Amino acid sequence: MAANAASYPISMVPVPASFVWSGGQRVQSSAGMAVTKANDKANQNQERVQARAEEMELIRQAQAGSRAAFDALVRRYEHQVLRLALHLTGSEHDAEDIYQEAFLKAFRYIGNFRFECSFYTWIYRIVTNLCLDQLRRRKTRREDHSVVLDHSGDEIDLLASVSDNRSFSNPAKELQRKLLGEKILAALSKLTPRERMVFELKHYQGLRLRVIGEMLNTTEETAKNTLFRATKKLRAQLAELR
Amino acid sequence: MNCELVQEHIVTAAYGELPDELVHELEQHMDGCPECQKEREQLLALKVLADAFPVVEPEANLVARARLRLEEALDALPSKRWYERLSQRIRNNFAGLQAVPAAALLLLLVAGVGAGSLGGYWFAQNRAVHTAAAVQTATVAQELMQPNPAQPELANVANISSIVRQPNSEIVDVSYNQLVPKQIKGSVDNPAIQQLLMLASESSASAAGVRDDSVSLLAAECRRGHSCKAAGLRDALMVALRYDKNAQVREKALKGLEPYVAEDVRVRNAILEALLNDSDPRIRTASINILQPVEADTSVRQVLYSVSNSDENPHIRNVSRQVLNQVPEIQ
Repeated sequence: MAANAASYPISMVPVPASFVWSGGQRVQSSAGMAVTKANDKANQNQERVQARAEEMELIRQAQAGSRAAFDALVRRYEHQVLRLALHLTGSEHDAEDIYQEAFLKAFRYIGNFRFECSFYTWIYRIVTNLCLDQLRRRKTRREDHSVVLDHSGDEIDLLASVSDNRSFSNPAKELQRKLLGEKILAALSKLTPRERMVFELKHYQGLRLRVIGEMLNTTEETAKNTLFRATKKLRAQLAELR
Repeated sequence: MNCELVQEHIVTAAYGELPDELVHELEQHMDGCPECQKEREQLLALKVLADAFPVVEPEANLVARARLRLEEALDALPSKRWYERLSQRIRNNFAGLQAVPAAALLLLLVAGVGAGSLGGYWFAQNRAVHTAAAVQTATVAQELMQPNPAQPELANVANISSIVRQPNSEIVDVSYNQLVPKQIKGSVDNPAIQQLLMLASESSASAAGVRDDSVSLLAAECRRGHSCKAAGLRDALMVALRYDKNAQVREKALKGLEPYVAEDVRVRNAILEALLNDSDPRIRTASINILQPVEADTSVRQVLYSVSNSDENPHIRNVSRQVLNQVPEIQ
């Protein structure tokens, strides 16, 4: 394993001076700050409970046939759905198709939703399945999507559309970042669709492994193993690219 | 902890999902294992590198386009028929039934234990009641529920709704309703206050003074043109004018309705009825005065005609005749 692990061109990207392990969080020294934090947390919890209750009501109404309630649910999740589909497929057109198909499916089958998991997990399960299908189709076509087409067929570059204030003033750095982005994308597209999905959901969407397992109809342990495999492959890919 | 396991833990730790108890163990291993340290460094480097292909927020145009397309597709879908929804609900319920055997067992268990202990309790109570020398009456039922029952305040008891005697015992369940006086304070424009005022004006149970007060407040509201239509105050006033037994109350209601006689046919009819049927001559006179400036329609003319012929009060007959003469004939 260590044989694959060659050193990466770390100098190309700004690496933070120190990494903080998520397990060992910093301790607040000031008591006042701790109290404010606790209050904020309580407020957040209360808001979350309220939002959840509202959502359940919307789901019930949508199940009873209310279009308005379903529209409200769509508005809650459409950004997340599009963000995920766009990042995974790299194509506005495909992302739009996945959006359309996912919400149509949700509308058709919302009566089957039985509140056993969160609605968020349920809708993501639909979306991830559609994205997996898309990735599998692409795998067989071996399509390169570092440059993608927008809805009108014009070429757009996903990497260029991200503005980075630090490098924006420096064209050389911008170019480096773009090249690196393309390498990452190439490495990601060498993963199996499932590995790609788990890495996407964990690294880019920041979901818990337990939730990822639920979404992909598998266990947390399997999701963890898939993530491990994905990181290993990515490291090997990036080492080769160098 | 061997290196292979540690390397798995490095990944979960890097994503903040390693349990706290394992973090310490991992750190201990890392201190003495350069290979795993290198592994961690490279994983963290990968994490940083991967961010060079960042997640992009979807553009507003894309969101709007996708939403529009979805809405069109949803509009084109045939709406679900009632039997489809019903079958869906049945299927859902059926799926929910999977847990029924366990739930039923639990319910039976709880019901069995509950019924057993309740039966035993009643049996003991009955025996105690029968053997006691001084037999208590209705209060026994309350003693069952609380050791020191508070005597119900008889002044607050509105009525007794039911009396059930338990068979073969001296125990009686008496259900009664209690009146609890309450007070509310607020502007006359307040809908809650208006509701109460309307209730007071319409309820024959209210004292004449209360009806008088409420009707005069409502009438004043209407005369000032405050939300008379929206809250149904006009209806309350019409009811008061038609049915209140107190002439003073009816007179106030009539005054409240005065501004609406021209625009509202129902108000006009109510006033015409008052003119025809009211027992108090003052109210009949006031009705004529109110109707006088109104563009007379057929019903007004008819009523004035019959009043001018048949009213028992000569003054009223006279006045209505005068009004009738002033009103131009309608062709």
